[in-house]
Amino acid sequence: MTLSSYLPIWPLSVSPALWLALALVIAVLVGEGLVRYLRLPRIVGYVGVGLLMGPAGLNLIPELPASEWRLLVDLALGILLFELGSKVNLRWLKANLWIAFTSLLESSATFFAVFALLLWFDVAHVTSAVVASICIATSPAIVVRTVTESRAQGQVTERLLLMTALNCIYAIICHKIAVAFMYDESGTSLIHTVLQPLYLIGGSAILGWLFGNAFNTIHRHLGRHEETFSFLLFGMIAIATIVASTLKLSPMLILLSAGLIVRYRRHRPHTFLPHFGSAGAVLVVLMFTASGLMANLSGIRDSLMMVLLLILVRTAAKLTPVLLLAKFSGISLKQGLALGIALAPMSSLTLLLTLDTAAAFPDFASGMGLILMSCIVILELVSPIMVQMALRGTGETLEGRS
Amino acid sequence: MSLMPFASSEPLSIGVELELQLLNCNDYDLVSSAPDMLRRIARKTHHGEIKPEMTRSMIEINTSIHHEYVSLVEELNSLRKTVSDAGRFLNIAVAGGGTHPFQHWSEQKIFDAPRFHYLSDLYGYLAKQFTIFGQHVHIGCPGPDEALHLLHMMSRYVPHFIALSASSPFVQGHDTGFASARLNSVFSFPLSGRAPFVLSWEDFERFFSKMTETGVVESMKDFYWDIRPKPEFGTIEVRVCDTPLTIEVAAAIACYIQSIARYIMIDQKDEPREDDYLVYTFNRFQACRFGLEGIFIDPRTHKRRTLREDIAEMLTRIADHAVELQAQEAMSQISKILDTGNGASWLRKTYSHDHNLSDMVQQQSDLWMNGQ
Repeated sequence: MTLSSYLPIWPLSVSPALWLALALVIAVLVGEGLVRYLRLPRIVGYVGVGLLMGPAGLNLIPELPASEWRLLVDLALGILLFELGSKVNLRWLKANLWIAFTSLLESSATFFAVFALLLWFDVAHVTSAVVASICIATSPAIVVRTVTESRAQGQVTERLLLMTALNCIYAIICHKIAVAFMYDESGTSLIHTVLQPLYLIGGSAILGWLFGNAFNTIHRHLGRHEETFSFLLFGMIAIATIVASTLKLSPMLILLSAGLIVRYRRHRPHTFLPHFGSAGAVLVVLMFTASGLMANLSGIRDSLMMVLLLILVRTAAKLTPVLLLAKFSGISLKQGLALGIALAPMSSLTLLLTLDTAAAFPDFASGMGLILMSCIVILELVSPIMVQMALRGTGETLEGRS
Repeated sequence: MSLMPFASSEPLSIGVELELQLLNCNDYDLVSSAPDMLRRIARKTHHGEIKPEMTRSMIEINTSIHHEYVSLVEELNSLRKTVSDAGRFLNIAVAGGGTHPFQHWSEQKIFDAPRFHYLSDLYGYLAKQFTIFGQHVHIGCPGPDEALHLLHMMSRYVPHFIALSASSPFVQGHDTGFASARLNSVFSFPLSGRAPFVLSWEDFERFFSKMTETGVVESMKDFYWDIRPKPEFGTIEVRVCDTPLTIEVAAAIACYIQSIARYIMIDQKDEPREDDYLVYTFNRFQACRFGLEGIFIDPRTHKRRTLREDIAEMLTRIADHAVELQAQEAMSQISKILDTGNGASWLRKTYSHDHNLSDMVQQQSDLWMNGQ
C-alpha cells in the first residue's frame, strides 16, 4: 500500500459539481444577506452569485452547455408557470373588461414598439417579429417569486399576476407564428398561419384541461400532503414536456393553462405551499443561479446601445397603456405606475424561447439571441428590485414577517 | 369641551350601520383594499353612505333614516349591490360576520385618516385588534331625557341583541367557544361597558364635562359603551351586535330593537333602576359565550331561563308594536333565528363540513354578496 492509495493526489481534481453546489450555498447566503441588510429581493443574490462565479464573471465554474441546464430550467419554470396559473382568477376578466383590454393593449404596444425599434436598427423583418413576440412576456419566475417573497396582496399584485399569465400566453403563441415565418421566409400560406396557432392553443388547452382536472381530482382525494404533491407535480411537468414535444405543442403553455384550469374549476379555496413545497423552492433557487451561470454578456459588450434601448422601449410600451387605462380599470394613477413598472421583468421564459429559436437558427443565436440574453441578465438583476419597489410603494407588501 | 345639544329626531325612526369585511378571492384572508373599493364606489351615486373604517380591510355602510322594515331592507339591498358590484369589478369579496376567522391582527394596516392614526397611536395594538365588524342601530328619541330613559330600559335586552346577531365564533384560526368573540375585543377598551346610571340630560352633561376635565375623553366618540346617546343625531345607538351574515338579518334585528323601543316608550311604565345592572355583565357574558343557549337572569324577578326563551316571550309581548311598525316580517325572521340558530351556529355548521376556514369564509361572503 502506498500513500497515494488513500491520500488525495496534489493537485486535487475536483468535480465541477462541487463548484455548482458551492454556488448554490453561497447564492442562498447572499440572498438572505440582501434581504436582511439591504431589504432587496433574494433573486438578485441568486442571479448575481451565478453571474459572478460563472464564465461571465470570475470563471470559477466551467461553462456547461445550455442543454445541461435545460432540464432544470424546464422543471423550475414549469412549476412557476403552473403556480402562476393557479393564482389567477380568469373570471375576473368577465367582471372587469378593462383589465382584458389593458392586457391586450399592453402586449400589442410592446410587440409593435420593439418591432419598430429593431427595424430602425436594420434588423430583418422576421427576426424583429420573433424578438418582439418574445418581448411581450413578463417573467413569470420573477413575478411569482417576488410576490411570494414579499407576501404581497392587493390590486397591483393581483393584476400583475393576471397580466403576466396573459402576456406569457400571447408571447408563446406569437413566437410560434413568427418562427414559422422564419422557417419559410418566402411565404407560408395563409391557411397555415391560421391553423398553426389554432392547433397550438387548442392542443395546449385540451392537455392543460386534462392535467388541471386530473390534478384537482388527485388533490381532492389525497389532501395536502407536501411530498405527494411535489411528486405529482414533477411527474406532471415531465409528462407535459414529453407529450408537448411529441405533439409539437408548448409545454409552457400546457402548464400555464393547467394552472389556470385548476384555479378556474375549483369550487372551494385551497392554497398551495410556495412553489408547491421545498423541492420546488430548491429548483427555483437553482434556476435563478443557473441563469446567472449561463449568462452571456457579449451582447452588452458589442451592442450596449441596442440592449439598453430595447429594455427602455419595452418597459415604456408596457407602462404607457397601463397608465392610460388605470382609472377606467379601477386603480389609481400611482397603482397604474406601479403595475406598469412591475411588468418589466424578463427571465427564464424569455430565455427558453430564445434558446429554442437559437437552436434552430444559428444566425439568430449569434445575433439577436445574444442581445436578448443580455437584456435578460440586466433585467434579472434590476427588475426584481423594480417589482419589489412597485409593490412596496403601493403598500401591498407585508414586511417584517417574511 | 362641552357636549353638543341633543338634536331632535323623529321618535322610533331607525338607521343602521354595518361594518363589512373585505377579502381576497384566493384564500379569503382580509385584504387592505378599502381605498380601492371607496374609489370605485365614489364613481356612481348610491343610497346611504359608504365610509372607511379603522383598518384598510373594512368598510362601513350606513343607511339613511327609516321607519319600517321594507324600506330598510330595500336600502340595505341597494347598498349591498353597490358594494358587491365594486367588489366583483376589483376581485374583492365582501362578507358579514363579527370577526374574520383567521386574519392576523398585526398584518392589518391603518386607514390613512387623522382620526384613525390618532386612535392607532393611542391604543397601539388594540387598534389593529379592533379589526372586528359590528352592527350599530340608531333609534330616534323625542328628547334627551327620554333618550336616557330608553337607553337604561333597553339595557335589559342587550343580551338579546348579542345572541341574535352573534356571528364571531372563530378568532385567529381557532374556535373560541364564544358565539360572539368580537365583544371580547371591545371590552379591552378602557371606556367600554355600560353608560353611567344618569337619567337626566343635565346630569349627563355634568358627567361629560367632569370626564373631559379629567382629560380622559374629548368627545362622545371616546366612549365605547354598549348603548350610547348620539346627541348630534338625537338618537341612542345600540352597538353590541355583530354584523350579521345577511342584510335581511341585520334589518330584522334593527326592527326588533325598534319594536322593543316602542314597547318601552308606550307600554312600560317602570322607571330604570341602578340595580337592574347587577345582572348586566352576567347576562351579557352568557349571551357572548353561549348565544341563544345562554342563561338570562331577569333583573327584576331574578328568574332564570335561556335567552331563547326570553326572546320568544318578548316576541309575543311586542307583537302589537311590531304590527304598528309594520315589522311582522322582521319578527318572523327573528323567530326563524330562534329555530334555526344565529350566524355563529351557521358558521360552525359550515366549518364542520371539511374543517377549512378559507372555505367557510368563501361561503360566508357568497351568502352576503348574493343574499339569502
